Amino acid sequence: MNSPAIRVSGLKKNFGASEIIRGVDLDIQRGERHAIIGPNGAGKSTLFHLISARLPVTAGAIELKGENVVGLKPFEIARRGLSRSFQITNIFHNLSVFENLRCAVLWSLGYRYSFWQRLSGLKDARQRAEAVMEEIGLSRRRDTPAGILSYAEQRALEIGITIASGADVILLDEPTAGMSNTETEEAVAMIRRVTEGKTLVMVEHDMGVVFGLADRISVLVYGQIIATDAPAAIRCNAAVQEAYLGTSLHSGIAS
Amino acid sequence: MNSVIFPRGRLLLWGGGLALAIALPLLFKSGFMVSLLCQMGIMVVFALSYNMLLGQTGLLSFGHAVYYGLGAFITMHTLNLIGKDGSPLLVALLPLVGGLAGMLAGVVLGYVTTKKAGTTFAMISLGIGELVAACALMFPGFFGGEGGVSGNRVIGKESFLGFTWGPQVEMYGLIVLWAFLATVAMFALTQTPLGRMANAVRDNPERAEFVGYDTQRVRYLMLILSGLFAGIAGGLTALNYEIVTAETLNAHTSGVVLLMTFVGGIGFFYGPIIGAILITVMQIVIGGLTHAWLLYFGLFFLFMVLMAPGGIASLIAVQHKLWQAGLLGRMLPHYLATALPTLVLLAGLVGLIEMGYALLAGEGVGAGDTATKVMGMEMQLNAPGPWAAALGVAALGLALTRWIGGRTRVAWNATLSTLHGDKA
Amino acid sequence: MEFVVISLLNGITYGLLLFMLSSGLTLIFSMMGILNFAHASFYMLGAYFAYQISTWIGFWPGLLVAPLLVGAVGAAVERYGLRRAHRFGHVAELLFTFGLAFLVEEIVHLIWGKVAVDYRIPEELDGTLFSLFDTDFPIYKGFMMLISVGMLVALYALLTRTRIGLIIQAALTKPDMVEALGHNVPRIFMLVFGGGTALAGLAGVIGGNAFVTEPGMAAAVGSIVFVVVVVGGLGSLGGAFVASLLIGCIQTFSVAMTLSITDVFAVVGIALPEGSQVARLTITQLAPVLPYMLMVAILIFRPRGLMGARES
Ligand SMILES: Nc1ncnc2c1ncn2[C@@H]1O[C@H](COP(=O)(O)OP(=O)(O)O)[C@@H](O)[C@H]1O
Ligand SMILES: [Mg+2]
Repeated sequence: MNSPAIRVSGLKKNFGASEIIRGVDLDIQRGERHAIIGPNGAGKSTLFHLISARLPVTAGAIELKGENVVGLKPFEIARRGLSRSFQITNIFHNLSVFENLRCAVLWSLGYRYSFWQRLSGLKDARQRAEAVMEEIGLSRRRDTPAGILSYAEQRALEIGITIASGADVILLDEPTAGMSNTETEEAVAMIRRVTEGKTLVMVEHDMGVVFGLADRISVLVYGQIIATDAPAAIRCNAAVQEAYLGTSLHSGIAS
Repeated sequence: MNSVIFPRGRLLLWGGGLALAIALPLLFKSGFMVSLLCQMGIMVVFALSYNMLLGQTGLLSFGHAVYYGLGAFITMHTLNLIGKDGSPLLVALLPLVGGLAGMLAGVVLGYVTTKKAGTTFAMISLGIGELVAACALMFPGFFGGEGGVSGNRVIGKESFLGFTWGPQVEMYGLIVLWAFLATVAMFALTQTPLGRMANAVRDNPERAEFVGYDTQRVRYLMLILSGLFAGIAGGLTALNYEIVTAETLNAHTSGVVLLMTFVGGIGFFYGPIIGAILITVMQIVIGGLTHAWLLYFGLFFLFMVLMAPGGIASLIAVQHKLWQAGLLGRMLPHYLATALPTLVLLAGLVGLIEMGYALLAGEGVGAGDTATKVMGMEMQLNAPGPWAAALGVAALGLALTRWIGGRTRVAWNATLSTLHGDKA
Repeated sequence: MEFVVISLLNGITYGLLLFMLSSGLTLIFSMMGILNFAHASFYMLGAYFAYQISTWIGFWPGLLVAPLLVGAVGAAVERYGLRRAHRFGHVAELLFTFGLAFLVEEIVHLIWGKVAVDYRIPEELDGTLFSLFDTDFPIYKGFMMLISVGMLVALYALLTRTRIGLIIQAALTKPDMVEALGHNVPRIFMLVFGGGTALAGLAGVIGGNAFVTEPGMAAAVGSIVFVVVVVGGLGSLGGAFVASLLIGCIQTFSVAMTLSITDVFAVVGIALPEGSQVARLTITQLAPVLPYMLMVAILIFRPRGLMGARES
């Protein structure tokens, strides 16, 4: 029970000849809110892809709640209680908002591949989907096809699908990217609310969000983690300062 | 909260449909009409089963006839196995045997085909279809070779509730019963967790994996169930025609069901029903009028792909929306105005094709030298006159259609923006 | 021994013909993401055009003109049909080509009738090239090989030496990159489609008289070409080449073998029970299904295909 939510050790990923993840070690404790920051192209999304089995690992180990998960398929990892969102919105475009969320809860409620139960009779699935819809503020758009939602609404739905299953380990890849300030604020408040008591790992560029939300921060630069620490310590870390010189972290710290 | 178990509108629709199906042979008593209705009922089930793959799961199959055909053959062999000692009740249950055969075929073949989705699935389904069709020619013992396998659906000494299934009308009753049950079951399936996840897998297989579903398993299960219903349709065919040939499971049959489903509209549950009915009627009516009907078919299909990829059902759905918004009246005059020159264009084209057919496909030697009968008119096909006339009509129609069609499009766009503007 | 050599030569000839079809199909697929269901229909058009031209002015002009005509038809189809269908997505595209295949067959019915036409090998090429042991190898087979290899060399030169070739190559290895170029390359799409269909047309010109020119030829060859592409690996030219030759040889060898399944099992020391229908089948009878069985085996054991890089 003391095993960390996620333990990554010696993780490597090559695309052809280029090494993108070059030996990452990372422990994320249960219940922790962990932010991963780093410049564009550092490999943050790739790290998420490896943990969630969207991409096969080249070398190294990944444990989820003490269990080795390397080589499993994405759905097997999802069933072990890890859920993730995508940097590029990844929703069911032709289904309504409500159906998107209901699809996301079906497995975790144990309905599996059932073709002998009526969806409309599954009260728990409906209630859970509606509760999530309320949380992400899309109740008004219940029957709208996801494909024609506004960008911010799609981002909210993206997070909704991720949290709907009730997974206790959540990975969010740039959940607020492309949002306006007010939208970001709302999204952060929502994220804080819906991940209460869960393990959260988040890639985020907005330093205000990162320093406000995270218990610990890891800095990923060029496929390696150069520092993992509490926000205050990261702020003063020389290596981080160097890697980030003159970039958004500075302004983020200043503000 | 709208959680009535059976919404009244839907109940009315289903009841109305069933009542109509039962009433039709009372209105059209001719043997021809009843045969036509039988064929329609069978095709409705077949097309709906196909849409479980294409419309609901996003799987474009070029080999769906395999499940239909195997269902038909197994049904026929079972019928012959039962032999004289059976009863009409057993015969009535035979389509279920066909269904189980189709399902079993799905279990075996689907394991291979559903490993992939998209284009690869399309190609593999074609290959598997060819494989089974080739096997059919290799094992004449089971598939009956060129002549097929035949049987007699009237068996047993007593009737079942007065039915022997001998008369075509009784067979029609059996078809309606099975078609209704199968349709209800297929609709119910769309409202289950598996049915909904099939839609999710169609829309975005990657995300479906990340919410815990094995997309391969979803495709596999949907294919097996689709095989079940295709097999039921096959069983009905076997009973209806009392003969099954290798044609039932070849690429042509697979192509026809794809055509029906698509033309009807894959985005709506009822789309394939419309397609199956329409295409069956066209097959028989137009097929009876002209030898070139397959050509018209191909042209119609391409026209639909390019102009109305949502099929007839989507056209109906849009009109329904306009009607609800009170905008249909605004469009109706435009529709009529466009229909007229379109008919002129069609007349010209049909004339050209029919004359070409009469000349080239040559009914008899020296076609064209003497006066030939085309569309009920005597004409000299080696003279330029008739050709010029037909070409002129077509050109006139084309010009008018483009002109009026352009204005209709403007009106259409305006109406649509009003419609969407009202909503927002 | 002679059986092996002659069958091998026949197999390679047929395999090269298949490659003329599958290479065009692969190029079109890699560039445009379209699986051209009607590809074999262009093969059929090539044969019929060549036949028609040969009845007017002879075989040799047809050899050049027919493929060009087919290519022009292909380009027109891309320009006025596919490009529109493309807007509605992949399924619409696939359905469009499916409908096209259907339509072409009907048009061929309409113009040339439902039975085979008398498209013959030209007299200059009618005869025996050489005799091996007791079996003759016809000149025309040699001619087919010559044309196919010539085409292969030309295709290779085009792909490696010209700008368009380089773009096409880029598309083969990095489809996303060309997708990023997006709609700025409709002309290249049209050229690739026209070129691919012209290749199919050429195959039809030389295949139509070697085999038969009839309305069913497109469907017969079409499904084999799809098998080739699946076996070789979707989008891989090298794979298509290997698979074409492999299936060409399988086809010719199996047609020539009179062994029955029982005999085959007997060789490995297993005696099958007498009398069952399966056991009595000969390899020749199995010939039509062998390519499909190979495809199924590949799908189960190596889903990427022989040389395919892409999982799709
Ligand atoms: N599928 C891929 N093939 C090749 N290179 C890739 C692939 N996916 C990502 N990369 C490369 O890996 C690097 C890291 O990408 P990514 O993880 O998306 O960075 P980020 O930290 O911005 O999320 C980038 O240089 C990108 O070009
Ligand atoms: Mg990223």
